[in-house]
Amino acid sequence: MQRRDLFLGGAGLALGGTLAAPALAQPAASRVLKFIPQADLGILDPHITTAYVTRHHAFLVFDTLYGMDAEFRVTPQMAAGHAVEEDGRRWTITLRPGLKFHDGTPVTAKDCVASIRRWSGRHPLGQELNARLEEMSAADDQRIVFRLKRPYPLLAEALGSLVTPCCFIMPERLAKQDTSKPITEMVGSGPFRFKADERVQGSRFVYERFEGYVPREDGTPSWTAGPKRVNLNRVEWIVTPDPSTAAAALQNGEMDWWEQPTTDLLPLIQRNRNIVVENPNPTGLVGWGRFNHLHPPFNNPAIRRALMAAVSQDDYMTAVAGTDRSLWRDHVGFFPPETPFASDAGMEALKGPRDFDKVKRDLAAAGYKGEKVVLLAATDFPILNALAQVGNDMLRRAGMNVDFVATDWGSVVARRASREPPERGGWSMFFTFWTGLDVINPGVNQCIRGNGKDGWFGWASSERLEGLRQRWFDAPDLAAQKALAREMQAAAFEEAPTLPLGQYFQVTAYRRSLSDVPKGMPLFWGLKKAA
Amino acid sequence: MFAYVIRRVLATIPVMALVALFVFSLLYLAPGDPAAVIAGDQATPQDVERIRASLGLDRPYLVRFGSWVWGILNGDMGVSIFTNLPVTTMIAQRIEPTLSLMILTLILAVTIAVPMGVVAAWKQGTLIDRAVMGFAVLGFSVPVFVVGYLLAYVFALELDWLPVQGYTALSKGFLPWLENLVLPAVALGGVYIALIARITRATMLEVLQQDYIRTARAKGAGQGSILFLHALKNAAVPIVTVIGIGIALLIGGAVVTESVFAIPGLGRLTVDAILRRDYPVIQGVVLLFSFVYVLVNLIIDLAYTLFDPRIRY
Repeated sequence: MQRRDLFLGGAGLALGGTLAAPALAQPAASRVLKFIPQADLGILDPHITTAYVTRHHAFLVFDTLYGMDAEFRVTPQMAAGHAVEEDGRRWTITLRPGLKFHDGTPVTAKDCVASIRRWSGRHPLGQELNARLEEMSAADDQRIVFRLKRPYPLLAEALGSLVTPCCFIMPERLAKQDTSKPITEMVGSGPFRFKADERVQGSRFVYERFEGYVPREDGTPSWTAGPKRVNLNRVEWIVTPDPSTAAAALQNGEMDWWEQPTTDLLPLIQRNRNIVVENPNPTGLVGWGRFNHLHPPFNNPAIRRALMAAVSQDDYMTAVAGTDRSLWRDHVGFFPPETPFASDAGMEALKGPRDFDKVKRDLAAAGYKGEKVVLLAATDFPILNALAQVGNDMLRRAGMNVDFVATDWGSVVARRASREPPERGGWSMFFTFWTGLDVINPGVNQCIRGNGKDGWFGWASSERLEGLRQRWFDAPDLAAQKALAREMQAAAFEEAPTLPLGQYFQVTAYRRSLSDVPKGMPLFWGLKKAA
Repeated sequence: MFAYVIRRVLATIPVMALVALFVFSLLYLAPGDPAAVIAGDQATPQDVERIRASLGLDRPYLVRFGSWVWGILNGDMGVSIFTNLPVTTMIAQRIEPTLSLMILTLILAVTIAVPMGVVAAWKQGTLIDRAVMGFAVLGFSVPVFVVGYLLAYVFALELDWLPVQGYTALSKGFLPWLENLVLPAVALGGVYIALIARITRATMLEVLQQDYIRTARAKGAGQGSILFLHALKNAAVPIVTVIGIGIALLIGGAVVTESVFAIPGLGRLTVDAILRRDYPVIQGVVLLFSFVYVLVNLIIDLAYTLFDPRIRY
């Protein structure tokens, strides 16, 4: 009991104890987890948005055919297994028996086919699947059959990818809805049910344990792979926009888990012996400076390349996360360090002292004539603002004519979609973070792509990078994939479609009463809460 | 009187129409794209374009405005671009916390500020007067969020008497409701108390110089009777006016207070909607706030007749 309960009890007695509502049966406190998510859960439909908060919500409600573990291995989750035949051109995935949706209907192969169709257009590995797909069908209730024009060795990786949007399985009747219209009915087959009747948009989202969930019997729980055994009756997401309030609520035990404490408050909560602060995801977040390749000056690869020599990842990451080096890493290339495709190819561009006089000379030699650089800065997100501020300084020290546009993230995402020249409402550069998982391999990494107007904002074009990416998809084994990823990184340092700015680790904080807290992202199975 | 009320109610129609036109046009001209926010940072321009088309955001200004106004006239404020929930449902979910916070703050402020102002005027130039005026300056100068953090630190973290954040519906009990609202109401009430206390003091000082007060004293009326029956009633019109104007302060302050104390009210709904460019929600909430403001002004105008019989409508 806390002191305020005594206070409340005393006040209640003083008022005759008649004012409080009758006590209804409540779940035991140790079975209820109160969680502060990174943001409001604006969109529930997990196929329509790339927002991470929606992915985390979806892993409560929905399940995936494959899961990914901490070693980045993909293993069956809803799937019992798969068979690959006809030289890789026919895949048959068999579902585990006994899977049920929250409305009580069984999960069938038809549901999976419709869900995969809905998801595939939005995910880079799904798009590649579509390009190779001849036919996808349900052979019966349990078996999904893929007939491919060309082998797709990464099919399981695609279906188990944690890059947003993930391939969540939903009932066919929902999955048939076009992705331009978000679904609002949350019926999945995941370990928790979404309590729509308790939803207070912008404030509170409630999930209840789904008694009909059947965890797989084999494997070890790790990230989204292995058995999902639930020890909680109820998970409540309480949206708390103010970091100081979130910190205080965690400290006094009103909340159990705060997904993303801000760096400035870390010393405060680390002093509290009842709170554990840890890094849940070794792939962290990678910072990027994105050029607009359509207009001067950054349509000139020599200018972009010259700026690579001005990048001091140390400066960027210090501005983002302070001087505690356990929270960030420099010397980061186009793939997150300590992941399978990270390498030192081309990394000399980031090493050695930063010589701005030489950068100025190189820019002049590359043909820079003082064109205006419109730099978009999202000042409402501290870590993005930090990147933009350092970027502004870097460009100015390199002698560039910078127009620093300080605005909010909503305006940045709107303006960056403009393909107009900078002087007509367009832009030249913006800064952002991607989670390490989003850039973990050449298949999903948008910052290293060169698919022009079909690509990510900035519209980098490079036949060389796209050719290497295609070869990566067809590589026969991991060694060959690694060699190609190495070659891609070297090419990326020459063409500089994007500037890599370092890796930052977003820690999470929870009360010591929690144990076996899953890693990778906020997941709620396996986790125990002491009374 | 009745004819006056009808006239005033009718006069709100063009006011609300102007507000609607202004809000819609401002949002239309403001930078930002909800489709881009929905699609997320990692989306491609094609994804954003598809969502924009599906939401009808690529339609011309007049078509969008006409469709919105037609909806309003039919009692339909539209559907949130993000959540797909009707705006009326979202407002209904959020109105209780905001209303609770504003009413509690209003009661707290009037209960504290009016006696403070009266006593300060009565004891003009004394230590009590200086203390009240000092408090008023402090109330005006310290931002709501600073007061909020301080209160949360002392009463929630250090003393553990009250919760840091959240809201409990009144239907779940009066004390749990009050427990969540005490700190936010005190934080929000600071500036309001300061404003009312200062106006009360200034008006009371003027009234206390009047001949009829001297007459009352000469007739042997007690100090309490002079202050609260004779003087305060005659000083009420400016005080009530300021209380009414202060509703606008409360609406603005509620936005910050609700964020600091994580109260799921209309203020937070507005901020979230603005950051996401959720146009139907912004338009709905601003219209509602405007309507409340017009209504409060009408009530205040009518209240004048209670305090000053010379006023007739």
